[in-house]
Amino acid sequence: MRISFKRVRAIFVKDYKEFSRNYAVSIMLILPIVLALLIRGVDSSLPLAAVAGTFATVLNLSFVMLTCFAQACLIAEEKERNTLRSLMMTPATTLDVLVGKSSLVFVMSAVVLVITTYIFGYEPANLGALVVVVALSLILYIATGTICGLFSRTLLDASLSILPVAFVFTGAPWGVFLADDYPIFRALDYVPSSQLVHLIGLSDTGYTTGDLLKPLVITFIWTVVLTIVSVVLYQRRLKDE
Amino acid sequence: MAVIQVAHIQKRFGNKDALSDVSFSIPKGEIFGFLGPSGAGKTTLIKILTAQLSPTNGQASVFNQPSEMMYQPAQKMRFGILTDNSGLYERLTVEENLELYRLLYELPKTSIDKVLQFVNLSGERKKKVTRLSKGMRQRVLLACAIIHEPELLFLDEPTSALDPVNSAHIYKGLRYLNEKGTTIFLTTHDMTEAELMCNRVAILHQGEIQAIGTPRELKKQHRENVIGVDLVNGEAYELPINGETADRIADWMKRGLIDRVETKEPSLGDIFIKMTGSELL
Repeated sequence: MRISFKRVRAIFVKDYKEFSRNYAVSIMLILPIVLALLIRGVDSSLPLAAVAGTFATVLNLSFVMLTCFAQACLIAEEKERNTLRSLMMTPATTLDVLVGKSSLVFVMSAVVLVITTYIFGYEPANLGALVVVVALSLILYIATGTICGLFSRTLLDASLSILPVAFVFTGAPWGVFLADDYPIFRALDYVPSSQLVHLIGLSDTGYTTGDLLKPLVITFIWTVVLTIVSVVLYQRRLKDE
Repeated sequence: MAVIQVAHIQKRFGNKDALSDVSFSIPKGEIFGFLGPSGAGKTTLIKILTAQLSPTNGQASVFNQPSEMMYQPAQKMRFGILTDNSGLYERLTVEENLELYRLLYELPKTSIDKVLQFVNLSGERKKKVTRLSKGMRQRVLLACAIIHEPELLFLDEPTSALDPVNSAHIYKGLRYLNEKGTTIFLTTHDMTEAELMCNRVAILHQGEIQAIGTPRELKKQHRENVIGVDLVNGEAYELPINGETADRIADWMKRGLIDRVETKEPSLGDIFIKMTGSELL
């Protein structure tokens, strides 16, 4: 399937204009920044190692409350107002529409997370690995948001549909603590949010290549699977068979 | 050359046939009306012709290619579509909505001015869609569908729920577009609209075409061969069309007795009811 960057850009610009006038959704942009300011404001003298876990939680929360939520709302609103169907009747392909719509959320989330990281003053053990895992997570949560949006009929539905995502993905790193009593919870360690916690928790001095690669590979697999599912679902949900 | 060719199309949803054995062709430059009550299968056919649905049986071709190919960007550049499922971006202005379509169709900037003049909305270009009346919104939707001056235009009940003034604006625009060579496939349940706009019509009922032809041909086929005469004294006659009637009317006219003479020609709505036994919904 071909992609036209002119059309992707047209959809990106249109979404930017719509998003900037949709205060109910765009307000979410400040959530991670406010959280970062509040947490660092409580005790800025805390050592970074102590805030690494909190930082990972803020990132995981931001992926759901900003990235996934914004994408779900963008898709659900287009469905609710029949504009998605109109878009599909233009020369824009499925990829043009999906990439165009996703790139706005990707760019916004990335900028907000960079600011959040700066406020936290977090210095990763391996910057490259953190950048890759955050980029993969953004794609992954955008795909999840797309799926939520496709199953929603209205904006309100979309807001509610991300609750299970928030519960599973943000809660996974905490659920792992129950693995000793309930071994089934060990599976939660393979959720991308848990892997992000592991990666962020690596110390400067002691980690192996395996420690670095494991979160990257697991997050990559999740990203590929959810992206494929979102594209297939998108094509199916917009067909009338 | 036929722009649309439909041969024995059947579309089944579950146990119900939305379309069964529908065949017709539309030559280039024609305004073709697909008439029928709500739920007759009109929208289903548009969806098949624009690759949003696949037929259960039969073949449909558009621009001499299977209709399934209409999902390709190159084919989408050739047709426009306006359905009751079309939508606008409410937070954007009229101009911003059209700008999106201009960029998606890769058109020059002047195309927005041109299409806004065409739908008579140049003065509203900076208005947000939320501030437009229903008629204006429908005209913006039409502008989005025709901004690329398509060879073929699908219109699914374009004037339903519009007042006569807004409908007249749309009719005027469509006629102009048709004069420039655009073939128009129009579905409607408004028989007056069909009579006013269409070169040919097909009447669809329960998924089958009941009649096809020009409105004039259909009326001719179904007219009663009588002429109605009302006299000034209140008497009314229905007379067969022949030489004797002509002499009789001429005599009444000389004596100044005639109040009104009318042909007993049915409307398309009358024909539909006669053929299907159904009231239009």
